[in-house]
Amino acid sequence: MVSENTDLKDFKLRPMKCECNYLSKSDGSAILSQGHTVSLVSVNGPLDVKMQSQSIEKATLEVLFSSKGGKPTVGDRYKEHVIRQTCETAILGSLYPRTGITVTIQELEDQGGFLACCINCSCLALLNAGLAMRHTFAAVSCAIDESGNIQLDPARDQLDTARANMTFVFDSREKSLVTGFTEGSYSEDAYSEAVERCRAASHLVFAFYKEIVSKYSNVIG
Amino acid sequence: MNVSVGDVVLPGDSCQEIATIGEKSKVILGPGLRKEVNGIFITKAGTLRKRAPNTFWVDNYQKRYIPSRGENVIGIVTQKAGDIFRVDVGGSCSASLSYLSFEGATKKNRPKVVIGDVVYAKMLVASKDMEPEIVCVDSHGKKGRLGVLEDGFVFKCSLNLIRKILNPECPLLNSLKNEWPFELAAGMNGRIWIKANTMRETIALGNAILASEYHSNDEIKSMCSNIASILAGHIS
Repeated sequence: MVSENTDLKDFKLRPMKCECNYLSKSDGSAILSQGHTVSLVSVNGPLDVKMQSQSIEKATLEVLFSSKGGKPTVGDRYKEHVIRQTCETAILGSLYPRTGITVTIQELEDQGGFLACCINCSCLALLNAGLAMRHTFAAVSCAIDESGNIQLDPARDQLDTARANMTFVFDSREKSLVTGFTEGSYSEDAYSEAVERCRAASHLVFAFYKEIVSKYSNVIG
Repeated sequence: MNVSVGDVVLPGDSCQEIATIGEKSKVILGPGLRKEVNGIFITKAGTLRKRAPNTFWVDNYQKRYIPSRGENVIGIVTQKAGDIFRVDVGGSCSASLSYLSFEGATKKNRPKVVIGDVVYAKMLVASKDMEPEIVCVDSHGKKGRLGVLEDGFVFKCSLNLIRKILNPECPLLNSLKNEWPFELAAGMNGRIWIKANTMRETIALGNAILASEYHSNDEIKSMCSNIASILAGHIS
C-alpha cells in the first residue's frame, strides 16, 4: 500500500506520498508526506467508551494531537478542535451510536502546511479504517506574501515571509467549503480568491485519494 | 462523481446506475451504500460490486468488526453473569451468549464453558442500537460446527482476508488441505482458529494464511507447495 504522485509538481502542490495501514495494531492508519511535511494518523473505532462521553444518537469522535515535543500546547488543542469538527462533518456517526472513534495524530515533520497535511492524512486513515463517511475531504493551504500574491501549498521559507496563511478544507461532493483556518491579515478579495484557488487545487488531492484506494483495492480484490 | 459497477469508489460518490434500476425493481444495498433523498451514495472506499439480480455492495478494507446478523464469529468468553456469558467478538461492545443456546443444554444440564474459552458461534441479533447476541446452535437445536473450540491457536487478521479465504474460488485451503491435516475455523470478525498435529505445522499454516492476503491465486498455489516442501524437509 505505498504510493507516490510526482505529477502534482506541475500544479504547484508539493508532491504527496502516502502509505496506508502503516501501523499494524490500529484499525486504520496512514502516513502522509506533502513535500517535507510528514504526519502519521491512527484511527481506532468504533469502540466502547465511558458512560459519560457516550451519545445515544451518534459516535463520539475524539482527536488527539501529539506534537514532536510531546507537550500539548494551547495551539495544539485548537488544531485538535478544528480537525475534530472537520472529521465530524464527514463521518456518518449515526451508524455507530454509543461508541467512540479515536483519531490520533502524530507530528513527524513540520515544514509548512502542517494542518492541511494532518487533515488529509486523517481522511486517508479514516478511509483505511473503513468507517462510513458522507464524503471525503481535502485540505489545501496557501500563503499571501507581502505583495499580495497567493502561493499555494507554501513551504516553510515561504511561510516565514508571508503576510497571511490560510488552510481550507473542501468536501468531495459539492466541493463546498467545510473548514477555513486563517492566520494574519488580508483583504476580503484576497480571501475569496484564495478560497477559489484552493478549491481548484483540491481536486488534485481527491485524485490522489482515488489513486491510493485503487492501488490497494486492486491488490486485495 | 458518478460511478458504475466495478469502479474504485470513494465516499461521497453517487451511483446513478443503481438508482435507475431501483426505480423499476427491488434493489438490495449492501455495506458501503446508502440511500439518500437525491440518490444512492457511497460511504466506504473500495470497489463497487454487483451480484445478479440486484445486489450491490462495496468491497472495502477493514479491520474492525461491525456485528451483522447470521455471520459466524469466533469469540472469547470474558465473563460469566448469571445465565449468560459475555463474549468478546471484537465489536464495539461484547456479545451475550445464553447458556441455554448450546446443544442439549437445559436448566439442569449446563454446558461446560469457562472464562477464557474460545467459542465459534452465530450472530443471532445484531443491530446498531442493541447488544449483539450469539448462539451455538442452529434453528433445529443442533450444534453443527458451532460450539467451544478446544486447544488450537487463534490469531487476528483483516476482515478482507477472512472473506478471501472463505471464497470458494480461493485456492489456499484447497491446496493446503492436501498437504497436511489440520482443523480451521474462520470467524467473520477477523479471527481464525487453527489446530494442527505439531507446532511446526500450526506455524506454517498461520503464516500461509497471513501471507495470502496480498497474493494472487497463482502466487498462493506456488506458496502452498513451497511451504509444504519446506515442512516435509526437502528444503531446509
